[in-house]
Amino acid sequence: MKKTAIIVDLDRCIGCYSCEVACKNENHIDLGVQYNKVFTIGPTGKFPDLEMYYMPAMCQSCENPPCVSVCPTGASYIDKDGVILIDSKKCIACMSCISACPYGARKYNSKREYVEKCTMCSHLLNAGDKPACVKACCSKARIIGDVNDPNSEVSKKIAKAGKAAHSLPDEGNKPATRYILHDKTAKWQEKKSWTFFDNK
Amino acid sequence: MERFKLNRRDFLKATAVAGTIVSVSSLTGTTLVPKAEAATQPGTKIVRTQCRNCTADCGVLAHVKDGRVIKIEGDPTFRRSEGALCPKGLSGVQALYHPNRNKYPMKRVGQRGENKWKRISWEQAIDEIAHKLMEIRAKYGAEAVMGSTGGGGNPNFYTVCRFMNSFDSPNWFEPGAAQCYMPRTLMYAHTYGLYGTLQGQNTSLGDSNGVEGYFYNDLTMKSMILWATAPSYSGPSQAGRMLAEIRARGVKTVVIDPRFTPDAAKADLWLPIRPGTDVALGLAWIRYILEHKLYDKDFVMKWTNMPYLVNTKTKYFLRESDIKKGGDSNTYVVWDTKTKSAKAMPFPYDEQLSPALEGSYKVNGVVCKPSFQLLKDRVEPWTLKKAGETCWLDPKKIEEAILIFAKNATPSNVCLGVATDQNPNSTQAAHMSAILNILVGSVEKPGAVLQRYDDKGVGGRMRSSKLRHLLSEKQLNKRLGLKEHKGMLQWWIAQPNAILDAMTYGKPYKIKAWLERSGNKLGTAANSAAWVEGMKNLELIVHFFMYPTSFTAYADYVLPAVEWLETDFPTADFNAATARVAVTHTYETVNEYWFFAQLAKRCAELGHENCKRAWDPKACAPEPPYFDTMEKTLDNWVSMLDGMTWKEYKEKAPFEYVPMKEFRRFYVYKETDPKTGKPKGFSTPSKKCEVYLESMIELGRTGKPYSPWDLPPVDVDYDALPYYLEPDESPNKAIGKKFPLVMSNGRLPYWHHTTLRNIPYLREIKPYAEIWINPVDAKKYGISQGDWVVVESARGKTHAKALVTEGEAIGCVYMERFWNPEALNTSTHGWKEMNVNVLSKNTAPFNDVVGTYTLRGYQVKVSKAPSAPKNIWTKPEQFEPWMPQETDQTKIVEL
Repeated sequence: MKKTAIIVDLDRCIGCYSCEVACKNENHIDLGVQYNKVFTIGPTGKFPDLEMYYMPAMCQSCENPPCVSVCPTGASYIDKDGVILIDSKKCIACMSCISACPYGARKYNSKREYVEKCTMCSHLLNAGDKPACVKACCSKARIIGDVNDPNSEVSKKIAKAGKAAHSLPDEGNKPATRYILHDKTAKWQEKKSWTFFDNK
Repeated sequence: MERFKLNRRDFLKATAVAGTIVSVSSLTGTTLVPKAEAATQPGTKIVRTQCRNCTADCGVLAHVKDGRVIKIEGDPTFRRSEGALCPKGLSGVQALYHPNRNKYPMKRVGQRGENKWKRISWEQAIDEIAHKLMEIRAKYGAEAVMGSTGGGGNPNFYTVCRFMNSFDSPNWFEPGAAQCYMPRTLMYAHTYGLYGTLQGQNTSLGDSNGVEGYFYNDLTMKSMILWATAPSYSGPSQAGRMLAEIRARGVKTVVIDPRFTPDAAKADLWLPIRPGTDVALGLAWIRYILEHKLYDKDFVMKWTNMPYLVNTKTKYFLRESDIKKGGDSNTYVVWDTKTKSAKAMPFPYDEQLSPALEGSYKVNGVVCKPSFQLLKDRVEPWTLKKAGETCWLDPKKIEEAILIFAKNATPSNVCLGVATDQNPNSTQAAHMSAILNILVGSVEKPGAVLQRYDDKGVGGRMRSSKLRHLLSEKQLNKRLGLKEHKGMLQWWIAQPNAILDAMTYGKPYKIKAWLERSGNKLGTAANSAAWVEGMKNLELIVHFFMYPTSFTAYADYVLPAVEWLETDFPTADFNAATARVAVTHTYETVNEYWFFAQLAKRCAELGHENCKRAWDPKACAPEPPYFDTMEKTLDNWVSMLDGMTWKEYKEKAPFEYVPMKEFRRFYVYKETDPKTGKPKGFSTPSKKCEVYLESMIELGRTGKPYSPWDLPPVDVDYDALPYYLEPDESPNKAIGKKFPLVMSNGRLPYWHHTTLRNIPYLREIKPYAEIWINPVDAKKYGISQGDWVVVESARGKTHAKALVTEGEAIGCVYMERFWNPEALNTSTHGWKEMNVNVLSKNTAPFNDVVGTYTLRGYQVKVSKAPSAPKNIWTKPEQFEPWMPQETDQTKIVEL
């Protein structure tokens, strides 16, 4: 089965925020809502011996997405490409998915009264195009593809990176997204829990 | 546009589209996924154009539906950006349809600062402004009329200069120039030479240089020193992107910057230097390279002026005519170690001679030294230890950095950014960096940044020319700041602080009118409050821009400028001619060039003889005169390409104007000049790369080579070699007790100068200005993460939010420029809340050559603020009133 995910090469990522803005433009996202956010990790160490990297955060494309299994109305679903989507018409804003996502990758839009998340620009994927964040990325750090196809660009990139391919903590949800970061750039900072978007 | 009468929700629906022209399968059921429809709808087209939210001109594909731009994305065919588009470019649609655009010419009806306006016609605006200018000219002289430009994506740099020359006023400025790029363009022109291209002339990565790095699949470069530059922040989609490619391919980098930027984080070595001390560090680099003989001896000997003997009394080079009767006055002299005598060195080189690089020799009874020796003497005090103490760096790290640059590393490049342009060491820093590149022979070889790309003028020649010969000698001599700072002649510009003094004190004469084309001078010029004070003495203030800024509140007329999506302009992509094309037009916005042409025309009709000449092809020749329409102007600019018209040009663009192998030739200096049968050499007086600059002494004494007339000499000669000046405000001086921290600035990837602070999606990322402070200093001054901080200098105080980070050198702080458009209608007009240039230093000492004042490297103190400044927006939802709006019905303006 196809599993589309975004892989980010953090050795290349220069923290320019193009992906954030391109995402908002493409999806006409309301102010206060984000699907994609760039975190600055660090600097770690003591001045002047420091390390730092940027980590763009978005839906981690889980193989077993708890956000889908907990959804009582079927609003959360996985499409033919393995992209996790929300049918906003079916969303009753019960917030179950928000609690279920281990990364806080979903955001409740109080103006529209439904939950939103990264769609991987599936409307563009369906048109044979790429997500806006991938296209605008200044350092070509983002690539998208099927992680279940060993011949895809993303699979090759992950294989080549070996131990330098990191994922966020896995609680059995099996995130497909990988962050590639070699020690030469900075050491990967393990963080036990993530909340990309605050829903308080 | 009249068919649209939509509210914002409808607009969002109407603009929810995808960006492909391939057929699209519809996606049912998911309402959050926008339908991929517009690009397949009738009336929708994709237009290839270019951004101008900074100076980089990245390629853009604009999706246009029924005349409305609904989406923009990067153009993958544009080679400089390869489809990348940064947050500045991505904000194009929000900027274009911003509800607060300047839409029509407006005239002030209330008091200045009340922000009460009435709409007037372009005819009325131009007529009234022209009458007032003529009245001021009659009463006070043309020099009392002053112009300015700058501030963000300046689409046509010399438009204002051209008008001022036509009006016979010598006074125009921009907040950059001596504070941005001019120190580097000047010193590289004098050291490396000045050529027909703008794409290899110097090492400023933010100004279309560093082209070799863009050919990253064909890479010979070994290392790049990012000195005072942060391309990931200042130009992510071009230089920042290029660096990601070359780092991935093993090019080593060193970053010299007090701030731990993305480029510093990815560098092999980071030197967190004390702001303002770069020249001290550079002199130590030179000393180390000379001492350890890490320079390219062959290049130094044969292709630089370093073996040439200098008469230590006159500071001028010896010429053959000085040592031999009837000798050539253009042939330089060396000390020949074989014959132990002074010998003429014919160009390019005489292998029979064995020139000394070091030593002191008596020639005709006068002490003469090779300029190599003079450089050695100059850098002698600058040991690694001394540089370490001065610059707050570890000498071992300095040495490591030098070795990355100079040891077995050729070609290696020092790429100097804007930071060193922003304090009085500006030209010395540029000179120092040029010397480093020359010493290691990183000149015109594969992988070198300094290159003579043969673009036949497509890169930067097809635009406003200065018309500088329209300015009379008498008026040029009145240029404010010129006598002292003759390096300004290269850009034909005046000194900001001398203008401010004339405005404020009426000395040496009064300034009475200000024609301003840019964003917010109160956010970019040093010591904002002093400018507001000076403006009170003006009888006429005109602001021409895309939207109102703090400056507008003090103006008498506000004129609407086109956004870049409404602009036609010829541009370049390496060897290719490319185009920014207007994809739509809103309201009564016009191109700045058209406005200034019409203003010159009206002044001519009112009897201004010089303005009349600006419309006369003969009087303007060889430059073009003004034309009635933009179309004719554009036709004229592109006619240099085989007589093309603009229509032909934009339809054909992009097209390779020069074949790549002709464009990207190496070692042009070794090519034979058909006129002489000898190598071309460099376009300097000696035809060699010049390290010792006799030409600086000449410039100070006469204004040559830039002034057509001999000008009165400066009181003290300019120095032929770089020297270090400790910052006037320094932690090592008394002022450091009251103001202990050194202030610096820098870029962030979503702002350019003071533009874009009104873009909702960008302000959502960073709604306020930050001050970066090291935990050591934060603790000392009682500041915690996220606190509002009062930042104070000898000039004034302002606010910023604390980012406590190890990524800022101890003893230094960084603050980004900012202003608050949401506070325009309050008593502050948005320039007082969090504006670092309320603090910066506009007073002497200035850089001697170009008059630079101090925007970085002055002293401040910080304390915890009781609260945030009033009237500012910090929550995303607050920016809702700035979301794109439908343009109202307006007549098409024929220009």
